[in-house]
Amino acid sequence: MVATVERAAAVAPVRRRAPMRRRQARTALAFLAPALLFFALLFFYPLLRELYTSVFTGPRADVYAGLGNYTKAFDDPVARHAFWVTVQYGLGVVVGAIVLGLVLAVILNQRMRGRSVFRGILLVPYLTSIAIVGLLWRNILDPDTGILNRVLHSVGLPTQNLLAEHPLATLVAVAIWQQVGYTTVLFLAGLQGIPELYYEAAEVDGASVWRRFRHVTLPLLAPTTLFVSVIGVISAMQEFALPYLVTQGGPDNASDLYVYQVWKTAFGFRDFGYASALSYLLLIVILVLSLVQLKVGQRGES
Amino acid sequence: MASPERNRTDRLFPGARGVGYAVVLVVCLLTVIPLAYMISLSLQSDGEILAGNPVLWPAHLHFDNYQRLFGEVPYARFFVNSTVMAGTITIAHLILDPLAGYAFAKFSFPFKRTLFIAVLATLMVPFFVRMIPVYVLFSQLGWLNTYQGLVVPFLCDAYGIFLMRQFLAALPDELIDAGRADGAGELRIFARIILPQAKPALAVLALFTFVFQWNNFLWPLLATSTTDMRTMPVGLTMFNQEYFTQWNLTAAGAVVLFVPTAVLFFFTQRYLVRGVALTGLK
Repeated sequence: MVATVERAAAVAPVRRRAPMRRRQARTALAFLAPALLFFALLFFYPLLRELYTSVFTGPRADVYAGLGNYTKAFDDPVARHAFWVTVQYGLGVVVGAIVLGLVLAVILNQRMRGRSVFRGILLVPYLTSIAIVGLLWRNILDPDTGILNRVLHSVGLPTQNLLAEHPLATLVAVAIWQQVGYTTVLFLAGLQGIPELYYEAAEVDGASVWRRFRHVTLPLLAPTTLFVSVIGVISAMQEFALPYLVTQGGPDNASDLYVYQVWKTAFGFRDFGYASALSYLLLIVILVLSLVQLKVGQRGES
Repeated sequence: MASPERNRTDRLFPGARGVGYAVVLVVCLLTVIPLAYMISLSLQSDGEILAGNPVLWPAHLHFDNYQRLFGEVPYARFFVNSTVMAGTITIAHLILDPLAGYAFAKFSFPFKRTLFIAVLATLMVPFFVRMIPVYVLFSQLGWLNTYQGLVVPFLCDAYGIFLMRQFLAALPDELIDAGRADGAGELRIFARIILPQAKPALAVLALFTFVFQWNNFLWPLLATSTTDMRTMPVGLTMFNQEYFTQWNLTAAGAVVLFVPTAVLFFFTQRYLVRGVALTGLK
């Protein structure tokens, strides 16, 4: 009898906890419901719908085409060209932003007067709308109405027509101009995570400044560099506004970036099926890049 | 933390410190000058922006360009539209992201891991993939050229949820238990106990969400076609005709678009820098 009471007393709190756990689950799901509904309707449903549309053709995307849009993409010189242009653009932006960002971060990582002001200034373009960035540089670089030629001329330099002669490189430069502050801040955070101890040890070993940079700073910054390069390539490969606003993909499609091409295919030529297939192909490339980053990043951690 | 060893580059080569200063200074000038030129351009006369005659600084400051900006196009309307879009999305994030983040941080429930991975997976879905189907869906719903059309695709995101989860997971469980012991409802605990504790993270979240949506270009360009529903970034392109661009008015519009983010940045720089660094520390 006593034992039963004792057992009941021991069981009671557990019994009380069980419905509480259910209540917790109900609360959690209620709190999650709006977000989950949002992701279902505005991420996963569009993702499936895009896949569905990609096997149709015609102006209303209602003629079944099987994998036709995908095979077409691989043979389509315009799409292939857009893809390679985009790869060049992405690599150019990332390499440029990393090299310049790393240099600036190493300099700014020292104690220097006005450090946070410089860092703040460098971040301003990153927080400026791409619409401003694109239009502003189009104006400055315009061979006739732009101020750059006037300045070059006044110091005796030859006039430029960069947007006509080197459209892709110019867009790369504009993108670096906008992003370098972001890269710098990421590298600064990475540098501040390197324990001072490592440098002291290297110094005791008599390592030169350059050797310390090569053998301490660079390897320890590798995770940051990996993150910056993969995220940088992924976001650069999605660039739309710069070709749209600055070059219209020209001249001669030289700056015809992929998403701008997708946009024209969908909303210019009204070929939603083909545009959807093109989107999916770039999505696959981006997913592979993301997974590479995840895998390599995990290995780096362990 | 700071030690005298921080001035290492001094021994790289004589004068390395000076060179470093010079590099940073040049890059900062290259950053500031185009933006300063944008202000100059916004004050130039119609004659000064004509082909062949660009000037660094206008002979007379044409502040009336700003009057024209609000007179010749409904730029005030664009301003309101931008504010409504960025403001509504920010408020939605401030509610939905911590709600979901709190659930993931402090509750146990079935399929928690699966749901969390599903949410994180959306980080890998770029906007261009959603652009066409969401456009088609909204055109069927009659949501193009409406505020809900501008706002709904961005109501919450995995980045914000992840940020809030990381932040709220560090809060002690006793806070919640104390609330429950007092008999407070779960929603009340969330609103009165959890949210106030999360203010620093919410500030970062709000700043980033607002600035990015204020600057958003692609979706408003696609989701609106009527003049009265355009936002500022898209409205800027209206002075941009095939053979002639009203550059002074474009620049004036750009300044109006730029100034609020610049002011916000000036007052919240520390948060923003921390937020940017956070995106790299995932």
